[in-house]
Amino acid sequence: MHHALHIKNGIVIDPKNGVKAEKMDIFVKDGKIVEESEVKGEDVKVIDASNKLVVAGGVDMHAHIAGSKINTGRTMRPEEMRVVRNIANKFRAAVGRVLLTSPAIGYEYAKMGYTSSFEAAQPPIGAMHTHEELDAIPMIDKAALPVFGNWHFVFKYVEAKDIEKLKTFIAWALERTKGFGVKVVNPGGVEAWMYGGNVTSLDDQVPGFNVTPREIITSLIKAVEELKLNHSVHLHCNRLGVPGNYETTIETIKLAGGFSNDARQVLHVTHVQFNAYAGDSWRTVSSGAEEIAKTMNSMDNVTIDMGQPIFGHATAMTGDAPFQFTLHKLTGARWSNKDSEVEGGAGIVPLVYLPKNPVHALQWAIGLELGLLIDSDKVVLTTDYPNGGPFTEYPYVMAMLMSKKMREGELEKVSPFVQKATNLPAIDTEKTLEEIIHMTRSLPARILGLPQKGHLGVGADADIAIYDLNPLEIDTSNDFEKVYKAFKTAEYTIKSGRILAKNGELVDECWGKTYWVDATGRVDMEAIKPDLEDYFKYYSVELQNYGVEEEWLKKPERIVI
Amino acid sequence: MAEENIICTFCGSVCDDGQFDTEKFKSKRLCKLGSSKFSKKERIKAPMIDGKEVSYEEAIEKAAEILVNAKKPLLYGWASTVNEAIRLGVLLTEKVRGVYDQCASVCHAPGTLAVIEEGLPGGSLGAIKNRADVVVFWGANPMEAHPRHGMRYSISAKGLLIKDRKQRKVIVVDVRPTKTAKLADEFIQIKPGYDYPIISALRAIISGNADAVPDEVGGVSKEKLIELAETMKNAKYGAILYGLGVTQSRGRDRNIENAVKLIQLLNRHTRWVIWPMRGHYNVVGAGEVPAWEVGYQYAIDFSRGYPRFSPAEFSAVEVLKRKDCDAALVIASDPAAHFPKAAVKHLKNIPVIQIDPFPNMTTLVANVVIPSAVAGLEAEGTAYRMDGIPLRVKKIVETSYWSDEQILEKLFEKVEELKR
Amino acid sequence: MIIIKPKTEFVVTVEAELTPDLAEKDVGEIKKFKVYYGKDVVELGELFEITKEGDDKKLVLDGDFSRVKWVGCRMSDGEIVVKGSVGANCGAYMAGGKIVIEGDADDWLGAEMKDGEIVVKGDAANLVGCAYYGDATGMSGGKITIEGNAGNYIGEKMAGGEIEIKGNAGDFIGTEMKGGTIVIHGNCGFVGGDMKAGEIKIGGEFELMPTFVKQEDAWVGDVNVKGEGVVRRL
Ligand code: SF4
Ligand SMILES: [Zn+2]
Repeated sequence: MHHALHIKNGIVIDPKNGVKAEKMDIFVKDGKIVEESEVKGEDVKVIDASNKLVVAGGVDMHAHIAGSKINTGRTMRPEEMRVVRNIANKFRAAVGRVLLTSPAIGYEYAKMGYTSSFEAAQPPIGAMHTHEELDAIPMIDKAALPVFGNWHFVFKYVEAKDIEKLKTFIAWALERTKGFGVKVVNPGGVEAWMYGGNVTSLDDQVPGFNVTPREIITSLIKAVEELKLNHSVHLHCNRLGVPGNYETTIETIKLAGGFSNDARQVLHVTHVQFNAYAGDSWRTVSSGAEEIAKTMNSMDNVTIDMGQPIFGHATAMTGDAPFQFTLHKLTGARWSNKDSEVEGGAGIVPLVYLPKNPVHALQWAIGLELGLLIDSDKVVLTTDYPNGGPFTEYPYVMAMLMSKKMREGELEKVSPFVQKATNLPAIDTEKTLEEIIHMTRSLPARILGLPQKGHLGVGADADIAIYDLNPLEIDTSNDFEKVYKAFKTAEYTIKSGRILAKNGELVDECWGKTYWVDATGRVDMEAIKPDLEDYFKYYSVELQNYGVEEEWLKKPERIVI
Repeated sequence: MAEENIICTFCGSVCDDGQFDTEKFKSKRLCKLGSSKFSKKERIKAPMIDGKEVSYEEAIEKAAEILVNAKKPLLYGWASTVNEAIRLGVLLTEKVRGVYDQCASVCHAPGTLAVIEEGLPGGSLGAIKNRADVVVFWGANPMEAHPRHGMRYSISAKGLLIKDRKQRKVIVVDVRPTKTAKLADEFIQIKPGYDYPIISALRAIISGNADAVPDEVGGVSKEKLIELAETMKNAKYGAILYGLGVTQSRGRDRNIENAVKLIQLLNRHTRWVIWPMRGHYNVVGAGEVPAWEVGYQYAIDFSRGYPRFSPAEFSAVEVLKRKDCDAALVIASDPAAHFPKAAVKHLKNIPVIQIDPFPNMTTLVANVVIPSAVAGLEAEGTAYRMDGIPLRVKKIVETSYWSDEQILEKLFEKVEELKR
Repeated sequence: MIIIKPKTEFVVTVEAELTPDLAEKDVGEIKKFKVYYGKDVVELGELFEITKEGDDKKLVLDGDFSRVKWVGCRMSDGEIVVKGSVGANCGAYMAGGKIVIEGDADDWLGAEMKDGEIVVKGDAANLVGCAYYGDATGMSGGKITIEGNAGNYIGEKMAGGEIEIKGNAGDFIGTEMKGGTIVIHGNCGFVGGDMKAGEIKIGGEFELMPTFVKQEDAWVGDVNVKGEGVVRRL
């Protein structure tokens, strides 16, 4: 195997390093991007990338790829598993329509030129399960975000206004779960669900605790910022999936107002499409995207991702257990629920997005509105896989954001409801190729706080995608079909300097790292010990048996802060 | 030396508060079933081929040959080993294009089919102990099968909202008065095989259609059913915990599906969850691992090089009864003792490989016997408690036995070599 | 007409998606038709003797086919006659034509069948005309006639067509049924759980769910799903 590569004559787009479609060569050694001089005298494999687009490997900052939720989804939906993607040979058997098996997840990302993906909701007590599944995904680097927003310890420290202990608890929890950052799902609402309810505003009191969602969110932001974690609070807002929720979303976004961080946002709001509905019922529902975009564009410390629905099959799986039950009531579909000790819950419900269904078409349009109206430095492209649909259709979203003409064609196929309930038809914005590359690479890497990802500067990880697309010639407004096709299947996907896939064919298998953040050096771990020992009486496992040791993981990568 | 917080690898309760004295070789705190597993027991002495003692390497080589030469090998068991071994087992089955099946197919698999039909609205055992003011054991008898379940999680367990046994109502629904029924606040005896119509009647009563329900259903009076329905509706957080009495009697998966529909309905009024009382300590892992690796929990055929799921065709009993395999690997299980006659008959006619710490009836029909270390005592690994909560079982004593993981790793290597 | 005869007793089951379309090919081609035999993909001619007689679109499966699965799967016209018994999934997804089984049929007979006709002279096992796991709809058209007895789970999620059983059947007849007709001349077990629509007619003894409302000459339910299914005596 060559440990050095020379990618020759490619047209490079590398937003982080200010490279806008320039013809240049990229050199790789020992899994990193290096200067040309470094590969002198090495056994170098040359890849001719003439007239091809060369970019960093894609970074998916929010997907549900591992753990008890997706696995329950697979179990619930054998009909999803009948699509055969690879027959066992040199590579593993890989199956799945939208829900994929672990090998299939790795393979499909690799074929598309994506090289990192973050599991966006890890139930803390189920951490080991999440890691076992992450360890079963080949090809990509990964990490998991444990969920904090309904954890009784968090309620107690927020109630006591004890930010120091909250920080310590976060450090403890990240270490125990081998987690990467702080995910918050419907803060307080899932605890209310344990009594059959939900919260309806930022100021509802959480049953059994003297705290509100507002206090939970701001305290967690404060704690995370004081700890200086790589990634900010990653928030799934309250009132998801409810008409009129966009106002709560805007109110939530504004909570970041009092905080700042030089390197990144202080709050990432996820799959905002599901939280961008105006109106007061499903009959009067309309888009709240424009108002959210206004707020977003006026703030410089908040980012979002789209949560774009893709027409076709999907499976809703979130830590937002009350929402999942509402969805089950709405559609009558199968429903799984997981109340988890004193940590929160989750739910799983199959669904299908139909273009002629007014609400589905509205959701589809809102996702695109958010992508188009919000500054490209603040919005990441996601489908919230598999909630909005497959990640394998990112190229569709990319092409749509770049082409009004494509959107016009697609708008003709969907329910006319979107014409009056959204502004999508009137939006002329066409994102540039640079913007799209930023939204799928350098921006998510920056949001996550991974300086070695999402770009092609010297020292970066040699995660590279080469696409059959010449940025100097392509007319992205009109040649959207070509754009879609090119991004669907990378000509080359290179991960840590190894060629994994070529024109949609797998050529090599590798096992990526699992990042986790160790902040225990920033806090006094003894401070919360008595609290842990006391409150663990409400667990069904012993404190000493709780959590994941590094040596149980395949390729852990500890980031010490 | 006393080891603290050892994890019991017997039943699905996976109690993690045990103690073990390595000198006396004796456990504390575990129940009878658990302490028997954590004591000196008769072991398979050494690897054997056709009754003759051989080395691990020789036995594994022979096992690899059998698997590679078979047209359709069955790889069965898995519920009493750790995830790391199960994963290798799934990969191995894929490699030899055989059939993967696990113990659930003869106990709780109907529950999995019900998940396919309606989902599984559940909660962890910790959630139940903290919150459940009504617990219904339906066709389940934990006092015999999961002796510490009641105390740790469900009957007398104290938690956040339930501070006292008196604050929880325990109801047993079963065909006979069990040991658990004796501890219950209420026992409802039903006619064997009538779980399904009884659940249908409860659903009708709760949704306001009591008029349709006849005076008696499955041996239970309508008044009693109305009373039960009221208790359910008035619970703050209820849990139905069901056992083999439901999954292995008339109706099987349909019973559970109906019960899940009852739970869906009850959640429109208050909070309810439902969960299976899984038997072997890692039977959940034996389903979860293949689910992420290949998409299904059990009864998986790889003959075409990709996984297919069909319980009627690829469950071990069906495969054996229909003589649809020409070799078998049995791990941590005893089908020769528990399977129907016709299935055992075929098992006797084909080459069988056994991997197990303990001798059992299957040892007698096995051509290749590979003894292994006891997980939780002599080997570590990940196991999923009945509610899916992962726990890392420990190695607390030394052994010269290979672990299941080691054996399967080597076997996988050998198979790859032979296939080359 | 093509006559297909097993050459030996099979070590494990064979999966052969044999349809009358084969009869339109010449013998050489038919022999090359791929079937699954355990992990091996083999040619039909390796396992079966093939003879051709005349040009009609018909297969005669001569011998014991109880270890051959997926016979007639997805067929749309023509005829298959099985002289003996047949394995699982016979006539699955069938869209037309006719299958006659002179012996018994194993599980999943006519699963998700859309049209056409299946006649079993002997008995059928479980899951006749049902939906495969994860699918919403079972049999939606055509007719299945079983002259002997049938097992459990008959016509689950059935949406159309007819199943007629001349003998007895097991439990769970027409569960979640939403259309079509099931006729059972003999006895059977539980009937009509969560039935939404369609009709079930039974000659012998049966156990109706307690969630049906008695009307003049029939029961209507299942009330749990606001069903309008009709169960009546034959
Ligand atoms: S209840 Fe089960 S897990 Fe607990 S000690 Fe007894 S056998 Fe072991
Ligand atoms: Zn998400």
